[in-house]
Amino acid sequence: MDFSAFFMQFLSGLSQGMLMVIIASGLSLVFGTMNILNFAHGSFYMLGAYFCFAVVTLLPRISGNFWIGLLLGPLAVAGIGGLIERFVLRRIYSRHLLDQLLLTYAFVLIFDDVVKMIWGIDFQSVRMPVVLSGKLDILNRSLPYYDLFLILMGPLILLGLYLLLQKTKIGRMMRATASDAEMMLALGGNVRVLFNRVFILGVWLGGMGGALISPQAAISPGMAVSIIVESFIVVVIGGLGSFWGTLLGAFIFGQFNAFGILFLPRMAIIFPFVLMALVLIIRPWGLLGKPEN
Amino acid sequence: MILRVEGLSKSFGGLMAVYNVSFSIQRGERCAIIGPNGAGKSTLFNLLTGHLHPDRGRVYFQEEEITGLPPHRICRKRISRSFQRVNIFPMLSVFENIQVALLAVQRKSKMIFSPAQKMVRQETERLLENIGLQEQREVISGILSHGDQKRLELGIALAGNPLLLLLDEPTQGMSPDETAATMALIDRITREREITLLFVEHDIGTVFALAEVIRVLHLGTLIAEGKPDEIRANDEVQRIYLGERK
Amino acid sequence: MKNFVLTLLGPGPLGPVLALVFLLFLPLFIGESWVSLMVEMMALAIFATSLNILIGYGGMVSFGHAAYYGIGAYTYALLLTKAAAPFLLAMIAAPILSALGALIIGCFCVRLSHIYFSMLTLAFGQIVFAVALQWYGFTRGDNGITEIPFPPLLQSTQRFYYFALVVLALSLWGMKRIVDSPFGKTLQALRDNPLRTEFMGINVRLYSLMAFVIAGGFAGIGGALYAAFNHNVFPTFMHWGKSTEALVVTLLGGMFHFFGPAVGSILLIFLDKIVTSYLRYWSFVLGILLALMVLFFRGGFSGYVMGRLNAMGDKRGESR
Repeated sequence: MDFSAFFMQFLSGLSQGMLMVIIASGLSLVFGTMNILNFAHGSFYMLGAYFCFAVVTLLPRISGNFWIGLLLGPLAVAGIGGLIERFVLRRIYSRHLLDQLLLTYAFVLIFDDVVKMIWGIDFQSVRMPVVLSGKLDILNRSLPYYDLFLILMGPLILLGLYLLLQKTKIGRMMRATASDAEMMLALGGNVRVLFNRVFILGVWLGGMGGALISPQAAISPGMAVSIIVESFIVVVIGGLGSFWGTLLGAFIFGQFNAFGILFLPRMAIIFPFVLMALVLIIRPWGLLGKPEN
Repeated sequence: MILRVEGLSKSFGGLMAVYNVSFSIQRGERCAIIGPNGAGKSTLFNLLTGHLHPDRGRVYFQEEEITGLPPHRICRKRISRSFQRVNIFPMLSVFENIQVALLAVQRKSKMIFSPAQKMVRQETERLLENIGLQEQREVISGILSHGDQKRLELGIALAGNPLLLLLDEPTQGMSPDETAATMALIDRITREREITLLFVEHDIGTVFALAEVIRVLHLGTLIAEGKPDEIRANDEVQRIYLGERK
Repeated sequence: MKNFVLTLLGPGPLGPVLALVFLLFLPLFIGESWVSLMVEMMALAIFATSLNILIGYGGMVSFGHAAYYGIGAYTYALLLTKAAAPFLLAMIAAPILSALGALIIGCFCVRLSHIYFSMLTLAFGQIVFAVALQWYGFTRGDNGITEIPFPPLLQSTQRFYYFALVVLALSLWGMKRIVDSPFGKTLQALRDNPLRTEFMGINVRLYSLMAFVIAGGFAGIGGALYAAFNHNVFPTFMHWGKSTEALVVTLLGGMFHFFGPAVGSILLIFLDKIVTSYLRYWSFVLGILLALMVLFFRGGFSGYVMGRLNAMGDKRGESR
């Protein structure tokens, strides 16, 4: 395999990875701060894509409607997330993991049908924004501009997150709660509001991932289910709740997919799970996670 | 000499939790370990029961070395303990709590196909009577009062028919009535079964009522040991521990 | 009257025996499509009860339990189609192989706990699924194995129903014995307090593994039964969606009672049939139901019923 082909695969994997960074960091953030593993995170991703699609179809003649959709879609999803946290999720914080998973899974079921009710079961698509359509020619091969866009968006959003966590008050509270939730409660920090905001942010990230992928992927109800397991894989590999771990995990995941498909296409779908299993067997807290005592 | 401890030391990071602790306990003795918070009492217990490995020192039980053995091996030697935080099986009934412990002692736990109901019934009933919980045998243990849970925990510890019983703050969180009842229970049982008792307590009244020997731990070292009167009269102890408390 | 109902629902064989008698006569009163549905329910009940050994009794939340259901189903299917094996042999081989699969996978999984355990079971479950999907030469991939010959003696739905009833009765009886045994009690103690159990001299990992293998074996029976009745097996039998189906059923019926999952299976299958004849959106309804259960009826249907009965039958003031 010559270098240019290798490099193309690398870039392709990178764009997948960077998209996963956005999605998985939402999952990781919520788990790290609130100790909730949100099974419905994939559903919010799916809703982000659908809402972006909705905006685009509602404003068919406005140029730049994709960008409007990209802006509004995730926000709308985040709003829904906030409501769910406030009225439903909040009740089970003290409960066992199984309850959280089952309750969030209930939302997976609900949203699955809701999108079918509104948009039907056919695949939908969003037209690629003109500005980003087309391909870049590198090394005698071509890379879609949109892939480059994703490669840039990932780190950009991650940078935003990083600044949020490190520089803002809410970020500091998030980090404090992640390391010691009981202490935070004892300090009387307004944990309720914090949790709500963190959940909204996490859901926004998932929705943004969905909106970002909408020009490239087929929008369908099945999106939710496939992405949630992939997100689990990424955060497990990187380390549940670890910021840099999510980045590393997503990167590895993207590369595994890109090269796996090339070398062993039949077995490609197993690779991420094998990787996840290996990490859990050898180093359960993930590559960059911290071992619990 | 049922228990002999020599030069036991344990540190965490840079912190010396237990330092060069040595003592011996006679069979049938009732020994209380007291000391201010952070004196190293729980650490000492954990070292004796195999939950922690000492950095230095040795522990001998009936002249056999047990230093560093894992907890389940130590329990087989008929050393039992209770824990500071209540350690029962909350979703099992009172009866089942004791039964499961007895089954483990009798090595019957792996039996898959026989109904457990018929097994160790008599022994379970007897032990329940012993600790005074036979009326509540069907109650799911998680909803028992704190005092009753502690009694149940004692029962679980007794299931192994121990020679040495280590109790970590057995009356913690109890009302004065419960405390008195619990101490009476411990008194009776340890006498009846000739169990050597080593217990950690904060309640001074209990300590002086029950203990024959008191050992005082401060900042990880053993600073005094002797009969209750001797300890009461010991100036250093007064200053460090009893003085502060009163 | 209340005492009778309490005895019926309490421990003791009266309830299950009556249910068995009821099931024996049921086909005389209902149409063939319902009988068919009952057989599906029985396979699901075996599967879900086996999962509850892990979750309810063992405190181990497995997300990949469908793998063993699928291994059982595929073992049966492959033996019948590729080896022309006798029917009963295939039925017996299924749980043996699924137990074996559970043994291999369990060795890795029981070393972990809580969410890591769950994630690893999910990973292995998906690996098994992917193998079934991709190993075209052996399993025929997503075409599945179809047209599995029906055993000659069980050609009619009604006959198969009785066979399934026997399998159900034996499986549930077997699992009940295990759960009531010293092992079962120790497993529950392990669920409640692993550290304390360890200090009683119990090898926690060994017991967890034993539970895992037992659960896997029985799941295989469910899978084989379904495969036999359905004539087909597909890789989706092993997908985590199937695992969550068992989870949902267990929650619906109640995970704190032995027959909870079986009750949940009946509920689910009948609700599904009834609802889907009116609404297209069964997932929506199920999701709402599931959410309500988790939030307000944690003990599931059986928990609710037992709670009401205890409240009614409680005259001696033993209430909490």
